[in-house]
Amino acid sequence: MNKEKRNRFIAIITLLSLLITVLFIISLNMGVVRIAPLDVFKTLVGLGNDRDELVLFDFRLPRMVLALLIGAGLAMSGAILQGVSKNDLADPGILGINTGAGFAVILFIYFFQGSMMAVSTLGIFLMPLFALIGAVTAALIIYVLAWKKGIDPIRLILVGIGVNAGFGAAIIIFQLKMNPQDFMQAAVWLSGDIWGANWKVVSVLAPLILILIPIAFYKSHMLNLMNLGDSVAVGLGIRVERERRLLLMLAVALAGFSVAAGGGITFLGLVAPHIAKKVIGPKHQLFLPITALLGAFLLLLADTLGKNLLAPTEIPVGIVVAILSAPYFIYLLMKVK
Amino acid sequence: MVSLSTEHLKIGYGDKTIVEDLNLNIQEGKITTIIGANGCGKSTILKTIARVHSARSGMVYLDGKKIHKVPTREIAKKMAVLPQSPDAPGGLTVYELISFGRSPHQNGFGRLSEQDHKVINWALEVTGLESFAHQAVDALSGGQRQRAWIAMAIAQETDLLLLDEPTTYLDMAHQLEILKLLEKLNREEGRTIVMVIHDLNHAARFSHHMVALRNGNIIREGSPIDVMTCTVLKDVFQIDAEIVVDPRTKKPVCLSYDLITAEQQVANVKKVV
Repeated sequence: MNKEKRNRFIAIITLLSLLITVLFIISLNMGVVRIAPLDVFKTLVGLGNDRDELVLFDFRLPRMVLALLIGAGLAMSGAILQGVSKNDLADPGILGINTGAGFAVILFIYFFQGSMMAVSTLGIFLMPLFALIGAVTAALIIYVLAWKKGIDPIRLILVGIGVNAGFGAAIIIFQLKMNPQDFMQAAVWLSGDIWGANWKVVSVLAPLILILIPIAFYKSHMLNLMNLGDSVAVGLGIRVERERRLLLMLAVALAGFSVAAGGGITFLGLVAPHIAKKVIGPKHQLFLPITALLGAFLLLLADTLGKNLLAPTEIPVGIVVAILSAPYFIYLLMKVK
Repeated sequence: MVSLSTEHLKIGYGDKTIVEDLNLNIQEGKITTIIGANGCGKSTILKTIARVHSARSGMVYLDGKKIHKVPTREIAKKMAVLPQSPDAPGGLTVYELISFGRSPHQNGFGRLSEQDHKVINWALEVTGLESFAHQAVDALSGGQRQRAWIAMAIAQETDLLLLDEPTTYLDMAHQLEILKLLEKLNREEGRTIVMVIHDLNHAARFSHHMVALRNGNIIREGSPIDVMTCTVLKDVFQIDAEIVVDPRTKKPVCLSYDLITAEQQVANVKKVV
């Protein structure tokens, strides 16, 4: 790695960490209940009043921590998918992996919880599991349908789009059977919403996502080689199909867990890796850490905006992400030769 | 030195058989060129030897061992493969690309050792890309890009180099540049080179051994003098070729050619008249 690039990497990482910290502090202050920075500080060190303590510790902090985790998770999932499919348009949302996870969660709530409003403590622990099962099922369907003596990246994307539509339709069938209130709740969640944020959810998801992300970092070199195309990777002594399956599993798990808490947020897995690649290049050792931080930053930004723009009405974070990324996405498409 | 051969190789796509029964013996330390018409199976054979495509039956032997019984990473230390028009991810620098050639010799994380850096710099030097080391591969010209890929393949430090149409899409000067580079690698380092190229004159000029294929079968193999003959070219390409000896290189050259079918038609017309 040359020195210039390394310095740039360190600068970007520092900048992003700084941005996240600043945004974190701003986000703590803002909301339906405004808390002055000094009061936030007081509360954090344990000198605040009961109301501030409740708002900060029970409502805001867990939700913000979740936003950071989900943002990082989805961005990493997108980066891995783009690497193994060698297609810059791959994203767990576009491929149907998020929708598969969403479908499983809807099924779980419909059959076991009865209502979106009353998810039990056990439910909080089971939901990531169901989301994972849904995500894996979707990925398996995509993989099997796209398999034709090996996986052709283009086929993978096209089949993924089809699977996405299929699961989307299946979700609507169950949504229609819900009562109006749950229907609304489900609709909001499916468009991406960090719901039911509390420390229990954080305690379940944080370890899962924080274990998977370093594994992905460890796979950086493999992703670099896969990115050269199958023929080159084989020539370099890579067991391509095996590695691709492994990396797909990793991306699917990251997406599944993120969806369990954040609903169907699309575009984040597309945009974050793109921007990261633009600023540092395609070498995964450098590009993945930036992707993760960028994803975390973008989702926290989107959630903060969504909470405050039309307060007290909340805009689902997924919709804010879409509004923020759609122009970028169109710009990308226009630039494609 | 590493030997390479195939035994009763049968290859196909779907229900189409491309190669029926191929017995190929690659001479060590030599440049071998496979020639043949489009769709005759030359690229398919190279892909099968490179283990990108799997054979229906038969065997590829590398170093006397059945190729699919040896861990793929071990093979990558003996045989480097450059596929047809490879595509580098946008923004990847020449140095980074070449460094990937070191991966069969590395641990899983891809950290480059002192030795790796040495080899990468050597590959840059041999291919004349020193001044482009930190430029993006996709911003280079076609000839430079192809040299960068060859640099990656030679950084793999293998005795055997397989190249599928390394000169396609390049202009005349750049084609020659690539072939001279390969010739140099062969002469100075004794690397065995197997390649597919379309330009017959280049094939004749740069190879020690030529293999002419038709429908997956070897029509003739041997030195350029043996293979570059009117009969072989007629059999392989259905052309009527005029072969002379190049005064500069003393190698056979196809001076001019015509399609046989067209000529036969003319002959027929003459007969009628």
